[in-house]
Amino acid sequence: MAEVQVQEKGGKGGKVRSKKHNARVDMTPMVDLGFLLITFFMFTTTFSKPNIMDMKLPAKPPKDQPITDIPEIDLSNAVTFLLGKDDKMYYHQLDQNGLTDPGKLTESTLDSEDIAKVIATAKARAKRPDIFTVIIKPTDDSNYENFVDILDEMAITKTDHYGIGEVKPWEKAVYDQKVGNK
Amino acid sequence: MARVKPKRHGVVTDMTAMCDVAFLLLTFFILTTQFKKPDAEQITTPSSVSTQKLDDTNLMTISVTPDGRFFFTPTVTPTERDEILDNMAGEYRIGFTEAQKKAFRNASAIGVPMKQLPSYLDKPEDVRQQIKGVSIPMDSVNKELTSWVKYSLQANPEARLAIKGDAKAQYPQFKALFDGLKEIEFYKFVLITSSE
Repeated sequence: MAEVQVQEKGGKGGKVRSKKHNARVDMTPMVDLGFLLITFFMFTTTFSKPNIMDMKLPAKPPKDQPITDIPEIDLSNAVTFLLGKDDKMYYHQLDQNGLTDPGKLTESTLDSEDIAKVIATAKARAKRPDIFTVIIKPTDDSNYENFVDILDEMAITKTDHYGIGEVKPWEKAVYDQKVGNK
Repeated sequence: MARVKPKRHGVVTDMTAMCDVAFLLLTFFILTTQFKKPDAEQITTPSSVSTQKLDDTNLMTISVTPDGRFFFTPTVTPTERDEILDNMAGEYRIGFTEAQKKAFRNASAIGVPMKQLPSYLDKPEDVRQQIKGVSIPMDSVNKELTSWVKYSLQANPEARLAIKGDAKAQYPQFKALFDGLKEIEFYKFVLITSSE
């Protein structure tokens, strides 16, 4: 782009005319700088905002209010998922009297297809599929990823009825036997 | 006869148009860019199929590191931050100097117990990040983390909470956090995930 402007030898005598330059500015450096800055801002800008998942906790009943009218739940209408260690999940459809030995706790992976299958089978057997509920109980051995995975799975399988509960002592005992926790 | 020499032109392109576009883009990027505040700790969020995007107006964040430590980022408005700090100072009986209050307004994340907060705020930002092994306490005895949330809500009732947990963090930490949130009757929040 280096232009060499050859100065013409001045005319002899005559009036010195101011030469007519066409007003052309060399914009190359400016454009260079412009694009450099664009590149910088393009790389530093954060377009992608992280995704979010809505989460609602069940409200705690007031302490002084006695818990009455606990609804009768048919065991077939619910399935309980216990999130265990090493990305494993254990499920059952029993209550305290039913869940007695580790054999009644079925093991499953946290794989999307496996969970979908478990839910579909349980739902097919439910007496009232419209109120079919999944109860999620993460044990202390599970990690946050397992928890998010299972919530995600609820979204995938469009299971609207699900709840997050705490592992009951009787479930914990059976679970500990199952995985061999001391 | 001398040969006719081709006249040497300097190649001059008209760059005005290109320049216009370049600066238009530049203006756009300058205006849209938001510099990401450096995270106190590297946190890898678990993935989900959710496509909802995080809206960061009135947002406070609780970060949970892989080893289960808590960090709290209050809402960004300086007046709200002042109020939060005043309330926290009142509850935990800790005095702050003006310089420390000013540092709190600009702090990116808080990750220390209240007792250590004044000395933490005295340190410059880059030194704070090197402090290891401290966390905001959250257990059955000391519920500082939920106090932060409580006073943030008091300062701005519109404030929303996002929880940014590392995939490898153990669940008991979250259980403690959820239980604490239930106790202050704050039930609705969002979990930050990454897309698959």
